[in-house]
Amino acid sequence: MQAFLASIHYSEWILHTLLLLPLAGVVAVLLSPVPWARWLAAAVAGTELLLSLGLWWAFDAANGEVQFRFHADWIPQYGIGYAIGLDGISLFMVLLSTTMMPLLVVGGWNSIQTKQRGYYALLMALKTGMIGVFVALDLFLFYCFWELLLIPMYFLIGVWGGTRRVAAATQFVVYTFVGSLLMLVSVVAMVRVVGDATGVYSFDYAYLLEHRALLAPSAPWLFTGFALAFAVKVPLFPFHTWLPDAHVEAPTAGSVDLAVILLKMGTYGFLRFAVPFFPTFALSEGTATLFTSLAVAGIVVAALVAMVQKDIKRIIAYSSVSHLGFVMLGIWAGTVESVQGAIIIMLAHGVSSAALFFLIGMIQERRKSRLISDFGGLATYAPRLTTAFVLTSFAAIGLPGLSGFTGEFLVLLGSWGRYPIATAIATTVVVWSAAYLLWAIKRMFFNPLVHEEIREVKDLDSRELVVVVPLVLAMLWIGLYPKPFLSRTESAARHFVEQVAPHYPGQPAALAEAAQ
Amino acid sequence: MTLDLLTPVGALIGLLPEIVLTLTSLVVLLVIAFRHETIDDSLLAGRLSLVGIALAGVALSGLWYADITAAPGMIVLDAWRFAGSALILGIGFFTGLTSLRFLTQQRLFAPEFHVLLLFALIGMLLMTAAQDLMVLFISLEIMSVSVYVLVGFDRFRRSSAEAALKYFLIGAFASGFLLYGIALTWGATGATQYGPIAVKLSASTVFTLAKLGLGLLLIGFAFKVAAAPFHMWAPDVYDGAPTPITGFMATGVKAAAFIALGRMLMIAFPALKPQWQPVVGVLAVLTILVGNVVALAQHSLKRMLAYSSVAHAGYLLVGIWTGSEMGMTAVLVYLASYCLTTGACFGILLAVERLGSRTVLIDDLEGLFSVRPWAALAMAVCIFSLLGFPGTFGFIGKWNLVTAALAEGNWILPLALVAGSAISIGYYLPVVMAMTLKPTRAKEAHRQVQFSPAMRSLIALAAAGILLFGVWPNEVQSIASLGAKALVDLQLSALVGR
Repeated sequence: MQAFLASIHYSEWILHTLLLLPLAGVVAVLLSPVPWARWLAAAVAGTELLLSLGLWWAFDAANGEVQFRFHADWIPQYGIGYAIGLDGISLFMVLLSTTMMPLLVVGGWNSIQTKQRGYYALLMALKTGMIGVFVALDLFLFYCFWELLLIPMYFLIGVWGGTRRVAAATQFVVYTFVGSLLMLVSVVAMVRVVGDATGVYSFDYAYLLEHRALLAPSAPWLFTGFALAFAVKVPLFPFHTWLPDAHVEAPTAGSVDLAVILLKMGTYGFLRFAVPFFPTFALSEGTATLFTSLAVAGIVVAALVAMVQKDIKRIIAYSSVSHLGFVMLGIWAGTVESVQGAIIIMLAHGVSSAALFFLIGMIQERRKSRLISDFGGLATYAPRLTTAFVLTSFAAIGLPGLSGFTGEFLVLLGSWGRYPIATAIATTVVVWSAAYLLWAIKRMFFNPLVHEEIREVKDLDSRELVVVVPLVLAMLWIGLYPKPFLSRTESAARHFVEQVAPHYPGQPAALAEAAQ
Repeated sequence: MTLDLLTPVGALIGLLPEIVLTLTSLVVLLVIAFRHETIDDSLLAGRLSLVGIALAGVALSGLWYADITAAPGMIVLDAWRFAGSALILGIGFFTGLTSLRFLTQQRLFAPEFHVLLLFALIGMLLMTAAQDLMVLFISLEIMSVSVYVLVGFDRFRRSSAEAALKYFLIGAFASGFLLYGIALTWGATGATQYGPIAVKLSASTVFTLAKLGLGLLLIGFAFKVAAAPFHMWAPDVYDGAPTPITGFMATGVKAAAFIALGRMLMIAFPALKPQWQPVVGVLAVLTILVGNVVALAQHSLKRMLAYSSVAHAGYLLVGIWTGSEMGMTAVLVYLASYCLTTGACFGILLAVERLGSRTVLIDDLEGLFSVRPWAALAMAVCIFSLLGFPGTFGFIGKWNLVTAALAEGNWILPLALVAGSAISIGYYLPVVMAMTLKPTRAKEAHRQVQFSPAMRSLIALAAAGILLFGVWPNEVQSIASLGAKALVDLQLSALVGR
C-alpha cells in the first residue's frame, strides 16, 4: 500500500485535495438542479473518504513531527503563508471528519426536505473548514478556518433546527465569535513579539514555536487570549452554556458535526497552540490548578446536570461536556499516556457521540419527540435500534472492550501521578455517566409501554443501518484492538510531552525562566 | 517625469483629474441650462457626469502610471493622493449610477443633482492632493457646500430638509473650527504649506498657539468624520438624506476626510505627535464605543448603518493614531474595504427601499432570502465583511489596523477595536438573521425589490471583490503600502530637505 501511495505522490496532493474538494462540491451543488444536490454531496463525501483513507497507510507512525508538510507564501507582506501539515494529533481528527461526511449525507437522506441545495452546500463548506482547522500550520490560516466554521454552522442550526433555533444559533455565534476575537489579538501580538526580537514577522507555526522562549514575558496575556477562545469551544465549565442549546436545536447533522469535530477543535487548540506556545505559564501551579479544577468541575457538574434532563439529546450534550473535561485533564497531566489517552478520547467520543446523535435523530423522526417521558418499551418494537443505542451508550460510559474505555483508562493512568486528587474525582464520572445513561435507557427502551404510539415505531431500515453499523464497528475496534490507533498517536504524544515536560513547576526550563 | 507645479503647464498636468471633472461639470451645467425638465434630461446629465468621472479616472491613472512627480507645493503628486483619488472616483461613479434610477423613481427631475455631485468630487480630489491648509480648507468647503445641498435634495420630504439644515449648521460650525485652527497655526508658524509648518515646528520649541491650532483642526476633522463626541449630527443627517447621498457621505466624504487628515498629521505635524496622538487615541476609543453601543438600539437599517459608520470611523482613527507607515497602509486598506462594503450595502438598501419610497426596518428584511436570494446573499457578504469575518475584505482591514496598533506597542486600542467588533455582532447578525432565518412575512414587498442590470452587476462585482480581496489582498496591500510609503518619504523630505 505504501509503495502504491508513494508512486502516485499521494503525500503531495492529498491535503490540498481534501481541502478543495468540498469547496468544489459547494459550487457544484449550488449550480446544479435541486434533486441532484444530495447525490452530488454523496459523491463528494464518498470520494473524500476514499482519498483520505490513504492517510492511514501513508502516515509514518514512528515520526512525531508534522508530516505532509506544505508551505507557500500567501500574503508575504505580513509573513502569512499557506502552511499545512498533519501529525499524530490531527490525523485522526481529519479521518474522523472525512468519515462523518458520507454518514451525514446518508443519515439525512430523507429527513432534509427543504432547501436541500443550501443544506448540502453548507455541510460541505463546514467540512473544508473542519479539515482546515486541523491541518493549518499558519496561525492566520488557522484563524480563518476557525472563524469560517461559524457561518455554515450558524445557518445549519438557524435554518434547519428546532423551534428555538434562532436563539440557539445566535448564542452559538456570539459566544464563539467573541471568544475568538481575543485569540486574534493574541495571534497578532505574538507574531509582533517574536518579530521584534528576531526581525522576521511570520505566522508560521514552526517558526513561532521555535522562538517561543521570547513569548515568556507576555505569556499570561497571550495565553489568556488563546485559552478563552479554546475554552469556549471545548466547552470548559463554566463556558459550556451554549452547547446544550445548540445541540438540542441543531438538526442531526449539525449536532453530529458539533459533537464530533467542533468541540474537538477546542481541545486540539490547547494541544497544538495554547500549551506548547506558553508551557511554563500554562503548566505553572496556578494555571494548572485552575484548568484541572475547571475540567474536573465540568466532568462532575455536567454529569449531575445530565441526570435530571428530560430531553435525551440534552443528556448527550451534557455528557459531551463531561467527556471533554477528561481530555483537558489528560492534556494538562502531560504524560505520554495521558496525552495519548486524550487523543483517543477525542476520537472515541467522536464516534460514540456521532452514533448517539444519529440514533436520537432516527428516534425523533419516528416519534416526533425526544422527551424521555414520551417513550417506554421501545425494546420490544425496535430491537435493532435498541441494541445499537445500548451498545453505543456502553461505549460512551466507558465499558471495557468498547471505545470509551481505552482513552479514559489511559488518561486516568497518566494523570494519577501528576494530579491525584483531580484524577480521583474524575474517576467517579464512570459511575455518573453510567447512572444517567443507563437510567435514560431504562426509561426509554425497557420500561412498560405507556404510549400506544410506540407500537407503530419501525425498526432501523437498511439505510439507517449503513450509518450506524460502521460506527458500532469502530467502537468495537477502538475498544478491543486499539493498537493501530495507539501506535499512530504515540510519537506525536511523545513529541508533545518532550516539548512541555521541562516546563512543569520545579523542572529545569521552568526554573530557568523563573530565574530570568 | 518631474513637473514644476509653479509653471502653468505643470499645474495643468498636476491637477489633470480635477480639471477634467471641472470641465465636465461645466459641460453638464451648459447642457442642463437648456434641458432640465424631463426624465430624459436628468438621465442625460447623469450619464454625461458618469463619462466625466470615468475620464477623470483615465487622467488619474495616466498620472499614476507615467510616474509623474513634482516637488511638493500647495498640492502633491504621490501615491497617497492617487490611491485616495482612485477610491473617491470609484465612489463617485457608484453614487452617480445609483442615483440615476433613484431620481427618476422619486420624480426629482433636477439634473443639478449630478452637477453638485461632480462639484463634491472635485473638492474631494483636491482634498487628497492638498498640501496646504488653505487648499485643504477651500477643497473641503467645495465638497461640503455641495453635499449640504445634496442632503436636502429630496424636496418632497421634510426629513431631508431637516437633515440638510442640521448638516449645514454643524458643518459651518466645524468649518469655523477648522479655519480658526488654520489661522492659529499660521500665526504660530507663519506658513500654511505643510512642509514649512513641519520645519518650523521641529526647529523651535512649540508654541502653545500651534498646539491650540492643531487642536481646533482636529475638532474640525472630528466633526467631518463624525467621531464621537462630535458625531451627534450623523445619524439624523444620514437618516434624512436621500439614500444614495447617505452612501456617498458614509463612504466618500469620510474617505476624503481621512486621507486629508492623515496627510496633515503626517506631514505638517510630526513634531506635535506626542500632543495629537493621545487626542486621536481617545477619540478613537470613544467613537468605537459610542458608535457600536448606540447602533445596538437601532431598528431602522439606514440608521443602524449610520451608527455603524460612526464606529468604523473609530476603527480608522486607530490607524491614524499610529502615525506610522504601517498604520497609514492600514488606513488605506481599511478605507478601501469599508467603502467597497458600505457602498454595496447602500446599493442593496436602496433597492430594498424601493428607491427611497419607504423606510426599511431590520425586521422588514425578514425572509428576503427566499424571495431574492442573490440580493440577500450579497447583503450577507457585506454584513460579514463589516463585522470583520475572516475570508472577507473587512477582516483584512481590521487585521491591518490591529497589527499596526500592536506594532506601536499599544494594547488598549487593539482591544477597543476588538471589543467594538464583538459588540457589533449584536446589530449586524440580526440583519443576516432576518434575511435568512426568519420566515417571510411580506412576500409581495420583497418581490418589488428590483435591481437595474447595471446595479446588479456592480453589486455582484462588489460582493465578489469583498470575497476575493478577503482571500487575496496582496495587490491592495501593496498599493496601500506604496501610498503610505509616499507619505512617510514626504514627511522625511519635508523635514530634511530644507
